[in-house]
Amino acid sequence: MNVLTLTNITKFYGRIQALNNVSFTVPEGSVFGILGPNGSGKTTMLGIIMDILKATSGNFTIYGKPASAEIRKQIGTLLETPNFYHYLSAERNLAIAAEIKGKGFDDIDNALRKVNLYERKASKFSTYSLGMKQRLAIASCLLGNPDILIFDEPTNGLDPVGIAEIRELIKKLASEGKTIIMASHMLDEVEKVCTHVAILKTGNLITAGNVDEVLVNEDVVEIAAGDMQKLETVLHTLNGYSSMRKTNNAFQLLYANGTSSLEDVNRICFNNGIVLNHLQLKKKSLETKFLELTNN
Amino acid sequence: MILFLLSLFGINYITYYIWSHTTSNAPAQAQAFIGEPPFQFPYVWKTITYWSGFLLFIPGLLIIISVTNEYSFKTHRQNIIDGLSRTQFIMIKIILTIIISLISTIAVFLIALMFGISEGGGSISFDNVEYIAYFFIQAVTYSAIGLLFSLLFKRSGISIGVFFLFVAVLERMVSAITNHYIDGVGDYFPLRASSNLIPFPFFKNAVKMITKEPNIPYLLIASGIYLLAYYFICKRKFETDDL
Repeated sequence: MNVLTLTNITKFYGRIQALNNVSFTVPEGSVFGILGPNGSGKTTMLGIIMDILKATSGNFTIYGKPASAEIRKQIGTLLETPNFYHYLSAERNLAIAAEIKGKGFDDIDNALRKVNLYERKASKFSTYSLGMKQRLAIASCLLGNPDILIFDEPTNGLDPVGIAEIRELIKKLASEGKTIIMASHMLDEVEKVCTHVAILKTGNLITAGNVDEVLVNEDVVEIAAGDMQKLETVLHTLNGYSSMRKTNNAFQLLYANGTSSLEDVNRICFNNGIVLNHLQLKKKSLETKFLELTNN
Repeated sequence: MILFLLSLFGINYITYYIWSHTTSNAPAQAQAFIGEPPFQFPYVWKTITYWSGFLLFIPGLLIIISVTNEYSFKTHRQNIIDGLSRTQFIMIKIILTIIISLISTIAVFLIALMFGISEGGGSISFDNVEYIAYFFIQAVTYSAIGLLFSLLFKRSGISIGVFFLFVAVLERMVSAITNHYIDGVGDYFPLRASSNLIPFPFFKNAVKMITKEPNIPYLLIASGIYLLAYYFICKRKFETDDL
């Protein structure tokens, strides 16, 4: 069953188009990463799902039903920045959220403990550091043990320890069978925790699907020799690679993950009378892949 | 729902404090203005409501603070995200305008009663008590306009500025200009309509000679239409806007 289905969502801010015909589905139990550079429409999309923004056209369903306040009560959401009443304590702020969600207050202490804010629960929100505010927002999401969690840049403003903690928390939540939708521009974050991914660029959905399929890693073999022209003709006779391209002073052969063999390349070149002066296997990083996808 | 209102009370505790503070000052100020027999029954109803009417920008201000406060902390978004519907949110604010107006009205009622008893030597008369109802309408009008302005401008500074300009200068000015050209129409402008329900309470005979008696039914109808319009615009705007 799909938790969330978006159909042709388009959003204009005046004349600026923030989202263009975005459609995808989030399967139940997945950790769904939404990747995109700044200003690509990630937050806008989540805002539309949470009914704080109105889509110009298109629609979406949650658990197959149109969105409603009742459904939102079952979703823990952290959108963009933590929004709390500055002059109230962490505890009071969570009490308001719990009240709106119609959950009991018993969960509050638990949620605060999970994000290590229990000792500071009586402090006013305005006295919190950015990282603590973020933690409180995550605590607010955990109230009432929702089955769907939406995190928009969950590790924003956190220290490395905090980032690792949140990552662990997300993994733990995922292992409990919860569906997590996470927007991020931190690639390693997505790579480490997500099972599915959608990539947005200036409002267009570039690709969506299983993380292994979308962010498939490739082997890059970089080759150079004294006689580049001869090398090129020889390389054309090679097979097994998916594509070849020329950089300033070398050729790059792209192989599917783990299928390249430097020895074979070297042997064939040598047998054809070419002595290589450069032969290197590079693992294409997720970052390069991401830049590639978003630059097309 | 009731509990949420209670938490709203908690949130606005500070603002309520300021409010109760100023309304408790009202009799003192009113007294400073006058200190004449109109404080005896049955005229006291009219007197107190008239002078208290000048302080009605305070409920409006409170509403503006309460609403723009949500905007500046983005808590209106959070409340929606957490599972309030947009309609619920705006209805809570509308109910808040009515609650604040009710509290002001009850306060004014008690103040009037107090003055009446202390000035009139113990006997109580509820003649003219309809002025308390007019006062309530006036209070709701001011707070509804506060709500409307804060939804339109979203920032406290601008909303408060425009609200004061509107209440103190612009509306009176336009109303007076209109009255100059088309006699009487200016009396039915948004705030005029409700505040004209309670005419100047002193020198009754002199007042009669220079101004005409207000047409209460028409003024009531006009006030009612304005109120419905404000609430409708507020509700509509909050339900359809990007937040």
